[in-house]
Amino acid sequence: MNEIKQYISELLTQNNVPIPKNRMKLFEEFAQDETNINTVKVIQENEKMIVDNWKIKSTIQDIIEKHLVIPNAMVGKFYEAKLDFVKLGMNDIIFSEFEDLLSYGLEYDNETETIKGDPTQSGDFKIKMKFRISGELEDSTLNEKQVSLIINANPKSLWKDLPSTQTEDNYWKADNAQDFQPLGNKHLVVASKRGRSHANVGSFRDDDFAFKNFPETGWNVVCVADGAGSATLARQGSKIACDGIIDYFTENLNAASFSEFDSLIQEHNAGTGEDIQKKLNLFVYNKLGRAAFNVHQKLEDFALKTETNLKDFHSTLIFVLFKKYEFGYAILSFGVGDCPIGLLNKDLTEIKLMNWLDVGEYGGGTRFITMPEIFSSDKFGTRFGFKLVEDFSYLMLMTDGIYDPKFVVEANLEKIEKWQEFLEDLGGNNEENIKVEFKAENLEVANQLSAWMDFWSPGNHDDRTLAVIF
Amino acid sequence: MRRLPVYFLLDTSGSMYGEPIQALNNALSGMINTLRMDAQALDSLWISIVTFDREVKEIVPLTELAAFQLPEITCPQSGPTHTGRALEMLYQKAKTDIIKGSPTQKGDWKPLLFLFTDGKPNDLQLYREMIPQIKSLNFGAIICCAAGKLADDSLLKELTDTVIHLDNADSATLKQFFKWVSETIEQGNKSQGTGETIALPPPPSEINIVI
Repeated sequence: MNEIKQYISELLTQNNVPIPKNRMKLFEEFAQDETNINTVKVIQENEKMIVDNWKIKSTIQDIIEKHLVIPNAMVGKFYEAKLDFVKLGMNDIIFSEFEDLLSYGLEYDNETETIKGDPTQSGDFKIKMKFRISGELEDSTLNEKQVSLIINANPKSLWKDLPSTQTEDNYWKADNAQDFQPLGNKHLVVASKRGRSHANVGSFRDDDFAFKNFPETGWNVVCVADGAGSATLARQGSKIACDGIIDYFTENLNAASFSEFDSLIQEHNAGTGEDIQKKLNLFVYNKLGRAAFNVHQKLEDFALKTETNLKDFHSTLIFVLFKKYEFGYAILSFGVGDCPIGLLNKDLTEIKLMNWLDVGEYGGGTRFITMPEIFSSDKFGTRFGFKLVEDFSYLMLMTDGIYDPKFVVEANLEKIEKWQEFLEDLGGNNEENIKVEFKAENLEVANQLSAWMDFWSPGNHDDRTLAVIF
Repeated sequence: MRRLPVYFLLDTSGSMYGEPIQALNNALSGMINTLRMDAQALDSLWISIVTFDREVKEIVPLTELAAFQLPEITCPQSGPTHTGRALEMLYQKAKTDIIKGSPTQKGDWKPLLFLFTDGKPNDLQLYREMIPQIKSLNFGAIICCAAGKLADDSLLKELTDTVIHLDNADSATLKQFFKWVSETIEQGNKSQGTGETIALPPPPSEINIVI
């Protein structure tokens, strides 16, 4: 009863009606009157209701104003997002539903507070969340909140395949090229494909390759080049680089100029002669270095002739020369840029990387055959590779369009298990189950390699070229 | 997978209050939607947004485009332009965000920086101190956009060669500008010579490049 008495007393004071001391007894009686007690109770209940109602209103407004982040969805990728209302500071929500989610291929489960489904359309959508919070009546109208839902398109569906129009460009080249030929007593299969990034904008394949067998001397030459994505005429740069190497050796690789190598090899195997290793290295350096420099000059001349900039022709270049001797094979190589040459031994237990890669601290930064400074650099001498082996299973030349998705980082190129995985991938252990059979009698091998090269790898959409000598 | 990190430093000082900030929000949202429809961007682009007025805030940390959600950018009704402090925060963030290549780690594409301002740095000393540090991060491109009469082109020139001047910050101009930004971003993931910077696409006619 005290509480009632106090309430009435405060009410009178608030209304400037003080209770004189001599009327206290009368006030006691007044406060104990049943009608007055009941009236106070009703007032207090109403007050509480007003306070509660305000709290509810305010909480609803808080929820409406709060940014509700729903993770982005992607078309074609199963989506499941739990709305953790407690974590979001919306723990008063006792019921929620979403309008029209079904039109995006999604549904909402109020029990688990989860949106899930297979999103069907992409866009930045405003969806309506309807909700009730604790304290509201069961049949009250639901509150509404706008929520943003972003559904990304599936990147696969966004890639366009625009033709690179033949008539409009002097340096046009086919989007795809492939070949399969015997090369000496080995075979070469090679495929080169325009990357999705180029197909997407109708631009050209910047990669290139070339090869040749020299029956007179028994030598074989294989080159692969990758024109820089940032250089406007890179497609021609890589072509000049590859053709240039073949042309150079067509003119300069003959019995007279290469017989010295044969005799050095003989001396080397017989263990006679002095400083044979040195002489062999010098030979490789001279012959391949001249070829590389010749290509550089050809590019320079071409740029001069066409009144363009040499850097418009930026291209990496790797090439190998190999020859079968009685004891086995001699393999010589040169490389500038970020394209690896790998030599796998006969029983696939060892990988020898023939070159090092020019890679910078940031992706895409590399060096090109068009850069004069590579020839004056003191590292020039380390760009050559030389190996004598009894036999090998595969000798592979690839551009970064293959290396990036399949090996990812340089360190992996040194690991035989990564090469074994790569061979398994080529052998059909891939999402599309496409198998490349490296067999001399398999006339489909170039088609198989070309088909294999369509593999999907997020973020890796560069031109792809792979040459395999087996 | 290689990321292309792109940083936006946006001036939200008092002078942007009202229509300009509205226009900036619209243009940014248009740019994000354009990029979302770009296959290459969706695969590799990472975006961070830092706003600066009296305070500097990283309103979106570096986030991949697929997961990116653009918040509403707001600005106070008045207050200074702390461009220097914004560069300071950018330097710290970028230094930890960006992945450099190594034999065992795939490096990011060269990051890009876009700075948008309609005034001049009120913390000029810090601004100048930060310039060499920002340059040391070796961005693929730093592009400053000066909008309106009060923006100081020459101070921005100290930070980068590429200063774009917009005569005003209305919706149509900003839209054009950010369309060009998205085209520039699309140039960001191509192989190039070590030490070379990216080639910028030709700007639309409404945009003046300050030489």
